[in-house]
Amino acid sequence: MNSGQKKRNFQIEAFKHKVVVDPKYADKTWKILEHAIHEIYNHNASGLSFEELYRNAYNMVLHKFGEKLYSGLVSTMTFHLQEMSKCIEAAHGGSFLEELNVKWSDHNKALQMIRDILMYMDRTFIPSTNRTPVHELGLNLWRDNVIHSTKIKTRLLNTLLELILRERTGEVINRGLMRNIIKMLMDLGPSVYHDDFEKPFLEESADFYSAESQEFIECSDCGDYLKKAERRLNEEIERVSHYLDAKSEAQITNVVEKEMIANHMLRLVHMENSGLVKMLLDDKFEDLGRMYNLFRRVPNGLSTIRDVMTSHIRDTGKQLVTDPEKSKNPVEFVDCLLAKRDKYDKIIISAFNNDKTFQNALNSSFEYFINLNPRSPEYISLFVDDKLRKGLKGVKEEDIELILDKVMMLFRYLQEKDVFEKYYKQHLAKRLLSGKTVPDDAERSLIVKLKTECGYQFTSKLEGMFTDMKTSQDTMQGFNATYGSELGNGPTLVVQVLTTGSWPTQPSVTCNLPAEMSALCEKFRSYYLGTHTGRRLSWQTNMGTADLRATFGNGQKYELNVSTHQMCVLMLFNNADSLSYKEIEQATEIPSSDLKRCLQSLACVKGKNVLRKEPMSKDIGEDDAFSVNDKFTSKLRKVKIGTVVAQKESEPEKQETRQRVEEDRKPQIEAAIVRIMKSRRVLDHNNIIAEVTKQLQSRFLANPGEIKKRIESLIERDFLERDNADRRLYRYLA
Amino acid sequence: MGIQKDSVRFNVSGRIFETTATTIANAGRNSLFGAMFDDNWDLQPNATGTTEHFIDRNSDCFAVLLDLLRIGELHVPPNIPEKLLYREALFYGLLDHVRSAKWGPFDGNKLHLSQSITGRAPGDGTAIRAGPDGGCCVAHGSMVHVYDWMLEEHPPITLDYQRVNDVIWADSKSIVISACERLGRGEGGMGLFSASTGELRYKFHVTHENQVKSYTAGALSFSSDYKLFSSCKGRSNEYGIGVWDQVTGKQIDFFYEPPGWSLGDADRLQWLHGTNCLLVATLFPRKDNCYVSLLDFRDKSMVWSWSDIGAPITDERRVRDAIAMEDTNSICVVNEYEDLGFMDLRFAAGSVRWSSRSRLMKGKMPDEPCYPKLALHEGQLFSSMNDSISVFCGPDWVLTSRLRNSYGGSICDFSIGGDRLFSLHSEENVFDIWETQPPPPIM
Repeated sequence: MNSGQKKRNFQIEAFKHKVVVDPKYADKTWKILEHAIHEIYNHNASGLSFEELYRNAYNMVLHKFGEKLYSGLVSTMTFHLQEMSKCIEAAHGGSFLEELNVKWSDHNKALQMIRDILMYMDRTFIPSTNRTPVHELGLNLWRDNVIHSTKIKTRLLNTLLELILRERTGEVINRGLMRNIIKMLMDLGPSVYHDDFEKPFLEESADFYSAESQEFIECSDCGDYLKKAERRLNEEIERVSHYLDAKSEAQITNVVEKEMIANHMLRLVHMENSGLVKMLLDDKFEDLGRMYNLFRRVPNGLSTIRDVMTSHIRDTGKQLVTDPEKSKNPVEFVDCLLAKRDKYDKIIISAFNNDKTFQNALNSSFEYFINLNPRSPEYISLFVDDKLRKGLKGVKEEDIELILDKVMMLFRYLQEKDVFEKYYKQHLAKRLLSGKTVPDDAERSLIVKLKTECGYQFTSKLEGMFTDMKTSQDTMQGFNATYGSELGNGPTLVVQVLTTGSWPTQPSVTCNLPAEMSALCEKFRSYYLGTHTGRRLSWQTNMGTADLRATFGNGQKYELNVSTHQMCVLMLFNNADSLSYKEIEQATEIPSSDLKRCLQSLACVKGKNVLRKEPMSKDIGEDDAFSVNDKFTSKLRKVKIGTVVAQKESEPEKQETRQRVEEDRKPQIEAAIVRIMKSRRVLDHNNIIAEVTKQLQSRFLANPGEIKKRIESLIERDFLERDNADRRLYRYLA
Repeated sequence: MGIQKDSVRFNVSGRIFETTATTIANAGRNSLFGAMFDDNWDLQPNATGTTEHFIDRNSDCFAVLLDLLRIGELHVPPNIPEKLLYREALFYGLLDHVRSAKWGPFDGNKLHLSQSITGRAPGDGTAIRAGPDGGCCVAHGSMVHVYDWMLEEHPPITLDYQRVNDVIWADSKSIVISACERLGRGEGGMGLFSASTGELRYKFHVTHENQVKSYTAGALSFSSDYKLFSSCKGRSNEYGIGVWDQVTGKQIDFFYEPPGWSLGDADRLQWLHGTNCLLVATLFPRKDNCYVSLLDFRDKSMVWSWSDIGAPITDERRVRDAIAMEDTNSICVVNEYEDLGFMDLRFAAGSVRWSSRSRLMKGKMPDEPCYPKLALHEGQLFSSMNDSISVFCGPDWVLTSRLRNSYGGSICDFSIGGDRLFSLHSEENVFDIWETQPPPPIM
């Protein structure tokens, strides 16, 4: 053994008693195993004894021939794989993939058997020498010798891509075979699947869809294009589920989304006669839903839809509120707003997945355009007035609630909620005093809604009005109980005692009541002041009504329902046949504008003209004369003589209301400034403006100029002072 | 037909065994028997067409292993050497079955002495460390002996006369050894070795101002995120705690010893998983005083510290070992009479509450005493004293068990891991293996 090495004098050798086994032992054993591997690859394994082969492999490892066993395995397996590779290369056209699949499954079966036989080596020799385990080794060798062989690699890729292309163009391909081949690539490791298939596949797909989307968009309208895109997307998802790695789904859908949607997004949305605006106009829920679902998948997709929708709503809304035709009829105006709101609500719910951001966009658009028309608060209040006066008769309770909720929604959009409050108070007062508010529950329910929306303060006066009505009823009962007997057959009096402040203040216009009436009123005054000390009672004759029984010249009897002023005028004719305007004015002392209106309604309205005017004309002149119209007839026994009032406010009234609102705002702004300064002590101008605006925005939008005026006023009154060093700073003076 | 379809016949060196496919299937796919089944766990037909499988192996062992597959318990008759059984199990691919049937989940109160191994080297051992899979390594002088869970010895690691200070298992395949610097040679420090072959894989260096320094590495500890800590003493005052990445072997941090304190000489390092801090304890007699501190490496601060500097020192008050118990936010210390003391981790600069358990030891100390060491395992506290190990449980740390093997003298170190407890005796390098019996199979 160590011949030629004996140069040293002597050498201490470890005591060895080497057991000499058959020197050819390793070769012989390996031959057996090698033969077995050949037989396995040649489908001849049934004649092999597993136990014997396992024992042989065990013995080789045990006797330190693991290295020989391992390298032998590598070269034998490589040999067979190269043979297989040649067979696959030789396969013609369509049979290429099938041949590859057959050989792959052969190799897998063989690999399983070989691994079983060499299990002991796998367990002991391989970990201790940091080698690749048998199964993995088999996969690696397959990859290197078959999949990566020059003649197979590109052919495999091209075949796969071509099959997919054919499937995309509508042909039916063998999906099972595809699945097996793709599965093989996946088994060979994620990098093989990615580099040899997925990456080129995605690139090819991008090209394909880029071209196809270009073609589509030239010849289809938006709805059809979206249908096609959706179908393609679903096809790709289906393809992944049938024969690709599930992880590829996100990537291939990404490609389709980018090529078919993201790249054409703006063009699609703005497509003439079929784009988003058209869909919104025509309520195309299905198309809109499809657009939403597709655009949602790409960055900025939804914001694109949202922006177009917002600007569309704003434009059409602006048209609506600034249309002078629509403004003529407040009820129709509000009905239009509600219809618009319903339309978009429905679109958002049914097509846009009830998306919060879309709801917000809708709300902000409404807020934007409703406030473009300064009369919106008035109109909304008028709408409520209309509904509560008559519109709700015979309507079910739930429907009433529904309408009220919708009104509240519009109310929320208003920036000038205090203006609404002003009008609402006026309208409510009229409803209450005329006794026309039939559904009391509906009134109260709306008040509760306003209260939850704006707080107690907002509705306390409104609630006060209801209380006054109730108390008045009780007072009248008491009055009638006390004086009922002595009043006898004379006129009856109904008084509503209104708390000053709770009700819309009207300039107290006094007029001369007919003698019978003023006596009765005196009685009530003494009764009322007798029960409530320390109060002052003043008559609001301009707000009352009266029922008169009138007998006309031809003997016809009618019951006339008139205002208190009209009553005063008519009662004059009990003692005179004809009166001039001047005489009437003198006798009643009704302010001339009111009187003119009152006479107009008595003399100029066709069918209700209980008076006759000389000369006959539409307008009342100072020199006109009036007499009872003996020829008055009516089909009804009860005739209601309305006062000619514009339902909408006239221009000067509007100015007045506006002024009152501005007046009311002043103390609120001042209170807000003081509250803020009290807690902050020192603050600069811009921050005060910002905070005040924020605090008040639930009621109205404060005007910065007005806030500045209020600050100055507060400085004058020594609530605040300017900082000496920095003039922009304000200081709170306790 | 006649033959039950499920039955299998084995001819093991002439002895016939008959069993069922269900029993054999318990062996799992990665065994010799696994190859006899197809993918649906149906028996594959034999190559020769007979129903008998011939196996050229020891039939007695086959009987034991067949019973293991049948009932899940291991019963080895005295006439079968354990090593032989392991060889046979390895052949069949059943070694994992044997291991899990051999001993059960660790419980300090149910330990029994399974084996004592007498070593080859005489004299004091430095340390014994249990491996994660039930193996262990024993350090003495400049040698480290490595045993796998079958207690088969692997090639020992020899450090060419550098004294080993500490050993720690990095994983079941590799161990880290810290050693003394040898004067003038620039060696020492730490290295990672293969447990199966004893080869050095790589060394851990200390760099100071971009220069690689030679140093003496002391106590070792791992953190949960694969960082390795060691107390270090360099030639030019690089005293402190070094931090390395276990995976790359690169130094990533160094905590220099503050003046008037001791880190580089530490006897014990312990990583606290809950607070992400490192306990460093330097104890008598390596230093005259004891220094216990908690280091936070994220902001390089000492978040808790205790020392007995300035306190009147008596033997009863001298701390011999310290261990942090995160569950109770305390540190347990022990004196040389095995009295336990506790400190609260939540308050800095506290004092030790000694629970004067016994003073009986005083005056009864053996000639060659070994000072107490502490270990903690799942709420059980272990302390070694002379030739026995005490087990304490519960919130008040009541003594519940005592482990003692009359042979081998005092215990100089012990370690718990891989569901086993290893104790190293000072005489003749004997070490004991304590195990918990496997639980009976669920009826």
